[in-house]
Amino acid sequence: MRYMVMECHPGFAVVLDEDGRFLKVANRHYKVGQTVTEVIEMQNPVSAPQKRKIKRWAYTLAAAAACMVLAVTSVLRMGQGTYASVYMTINPEVRIDVNRNDTVVGLEGINSDGEELIEGYRYKKKDLNQVMDELVDRAIDMGYLYEGGQISLMLDAESDEWIVTYSDALTSHLYEYLKEKLSVTIEVTDKNTQSNQVIIPVAPEESTYGESDYGEEESAVQPSLNPAPDTMSGDSGYDDMQTDYEEQGDISSGSQPDDSEADGQSDYENQSEYDLDDSDDDSDDDDSGDDDSDDDD
Amino acid sequence: MQNGHPITKAVYEAKKDLQKADDLIRDYIPFIRSEASKCISKLCTEQDDEFSIAMIAFHEAILGYERGRGTFLGYASMVIHSRIIDYRRKESRHQGHVSLYAESGEGDRTVMDEMADERDHYEESANLEATRQEIEELAAVMAGFGISFSDVSDNSPKQERTLEACSSAIRYASENSHLLNELLRTKKLPLAQLAAGSGVERKTLERHRKYILAMLLIQTNGYEIIRGHLRHILKRKGGMPV
Repeated sequence: MRYMVMECHPGFAVVLDEDGRFLKVANRHYKVGQTVTEVIEMQNPVSAPQKRKIKRWAYTLAAAAACMVLAVTSVLRMGQGTYASVYMTINPEVRIDVNRNDTVVGLEGINSDGEELIEGYRYKKKDLNQVMDELVDRAIDMGYLYEGGQISLMLDAESDEWIVTYSDALTSHLYEYLKEKLSVTIEVTDKNTQSNQVIIPVAPEESTYGESDYGEEESAVQPSLNPAPDTMSGDSGYDDMQTDYEEQGDISSGSQPDDSEADGQSDYENQSEYDLDDSDDDSDDDDSGDDDSDDDD
Repeated sequence: MQNGHPITKAVYEAKKDLQKADDLIRDYIPFIRSEASKCISKLCTEQDDEFSIAMIAFHEAILGYERGRGTFLGYASMVIHSRIIDYRRKESRHQGHVSLYAESGEGDRTVMDEMADERDHYEESANLEATRQEIEELAAVMAGFGISFSDVSDNSPKQERTLEACSSAIRYASENSHLLNELLRTKKLPLAQLAAGSGVERKTLERHRKYILAMLLIQTNGYEIIRGHLRHILKRKGGMPV
């Protein structure tokens, strides 16, 4: 290959090869116009560090961006997750999932009637109360809910506070809503209390507490039942109690307060019989003694 | 610390301005020679190849230097050493052989020249002056377009395929002399017509604009010697001379 020297600088020379390339080569005392046969080509300087700098900066930015995305999504999703569930049973049983803002985020039929009830129903972005109202309306239309029927609500949530707040709020809301349409019984339970009810043997104090919490139905039917355990002392109380218990037994048998009363009563009865016998003897003795003393006096 | 150093500033200016780069190199010739001498473990004269290599290595160092790479002179010294080592390694393959192009004692003449027809050599030396005049003329015309040979060499296609594409565009132009006349008249590259006529991507031509311009100027009248030198470019297509 022959190269024609086109331009000379102290550091390098520009040559033109026969293929038409212009090259920068080491200037070995070339003169312009000279044709040379061997050249030492200049190597292109690399500028790697600058690239690396940009990359490092990009990594930092990418990491920061990723963190931002994570933070933002987690904040946004925090309100969207299921926070609590309401199981509504008429006969159709459905589960309504709500988030922290009481917006319904999920609706599922538990049994086949429940699936039928929610078929084609759009719950998105609706309030819990609204969804319940509308579902109840649908149940009435489809003939599941009728005069004198029963609605059971079971609340399930991480926080007990939510359950306590909503067991009252939901009931009163449904009562209010159904007041003009139908008269139905509304029963509210929550998962924890239900399990307590099964496992823990009931003492009188606890039964009182339990009644106020989950026994809305019973209190609605018979509000006079509550003071019963407190009044269980003395002869006069005993007589009243007995009559109450007998009336109550016909309406609802097998609930804890009644059992405790029944036990108490039986004990009391046995004891009283025993006492009566003793007292009869004593009284005889006393009477005789008294008579004696009276005689003395 | 390095930002304030006058040589760093000078190097950054020399990156953009070729004249300043030349001045800088001229100022540092003693440094360059001393570095070359250190590397070859003997006194380096300006006649040695190593000196030329050290000079171009210094020029490379100017272009490649960045502030993050330490002091300039340290960097330049490193580049000079590496280039000389590269060169010596390459040359070591030819040890014990005499190159046909090696100088054979008598000045510019090579072994090849001595073996070949003497008349060719003389003719060439006679042509040297004419060639020089032609090149100077071309350089003046190119200066009118605002480019120098250094610019063209930076802009020259490196890859074989790109070079071939550019060559076909240049061939097309040389076949259609009205394009060359138009170029001289309007001082504008007829890129659209070149791309359409030669079937080369316009983007490729655009990228090597300065190179195409220089080559087209060579194809205009008056540069017979250079055109004679570039015999390959016009013969390429199917081996048929145009």
